[in-house]
Amino acid sequence: MSASEERHDHGPKGDHHHPAPLTDVEVRTRALEELLREKGLVDESFIDAVVSAYENDIGPMNGARVVARAWVDPAYRRRLLADATAAIGELGYAGPEGDHMVVVENTEAVHNVVVCTLCSCYPWPVLGLPPTWYKSAAYRSRLVREPRVVLREMGLDLPESVEIRVWDSSAEIRYLVLPERPAGTEGLGQEALATRVTRDAMIGTARP
Amino acid sequence: MTAGQGVAAPVVVGSEVAQMGGPAALPRRNGELVFEAPWQGRVFGLALGVVRHLGLPWHEFQQRLIAEIGAHPDAPYYDCWLAALERLVVEHGVAAPAELAAAEGAVRRESRS
Repeated sequence: MSASEERHDHGPKGDHHHPAPLTDVEVRTRALEELLREKGLVDESFIDAVVSAYENDIGPMNGARVVARAWVDPAYRRRLLADATAAIGELGYAGPEGDHMVVVENTEAVHNVVVCTLCSCYPWPVLGLPPTWYKSAAYRSRLVREPRVVLREMGLDLPESVEIRVWDSSAEIRYLVLPERPAGTEGLGQEALATRVTRDAMIGTARP
Repeated sequence: MTAGQGVAAPVVVGSEVAQMGGPAALPRRNGELVFEAPWQGRVFGLALGVVRHLGLPWHEFQQRLIAEIGAHPDAPYYDCWLAALERLVVEHGVAAPAELAAAEGAVRRESRS
């Protein structure tokens, strides 16, 4: 629509207050926010809280605690694999986009990796917001076709003997990978183990 | 863990997590920015707020997002998110397209003054 019109505004025009003109999407976002605020449909503090929570606080740490608990507690691991939504809820992590969780377990013989081929379905309450590459058209289309190649490009070179299973997250089911506990971590407690678990390991594009 | 809790639950969890120190706080973002520009964070929060205020299932937004991404596979992700939210707002009768256009015009004028 008016994207091109907006671009013509670039260049020196003497408007010292706005050295960088608003982009079309910025204008539309501001307009939408102001309209919704006028109608009493959102309040700023709520948006701030949501953004801050997802950006900084909810992050992958919740998922890392789930994984660490499963590593040290065999009974929890069994519950997690049987009913992930309930087992994750036990630790207090719940919310939108985390209602139907399935945890898939990596073994010596099987490596799991998660994608959303349609858009970017992702378990927010345990992993925060999806990384940029997760939403890219290239990852979404290629991972199913050539998972071994894509993983290698992302720095995870799996032996040919390891079977790769690709899980397509959807609005109905969100997958989380339970990585193998790294060797040499026998003496570590749950909190220390959690710091070893990266977001990418729980998506399946890396190993802890 | 009921569906009705909606967005309130993670915000509460968030503040609890934020107050925790020690090694637990370290790998929060794994080195990657989750939003590439501030407006993306705003439009993200707006969608959650509107869906909650209207009492809609998240799917109402989700299906529009999928449709936008499907229709514009090369468009940046949050552009699709914004378009999906605009559609939801119009289709649920919150605002007419003309109102949206007028609000955009006001923002443009304001940003030039």
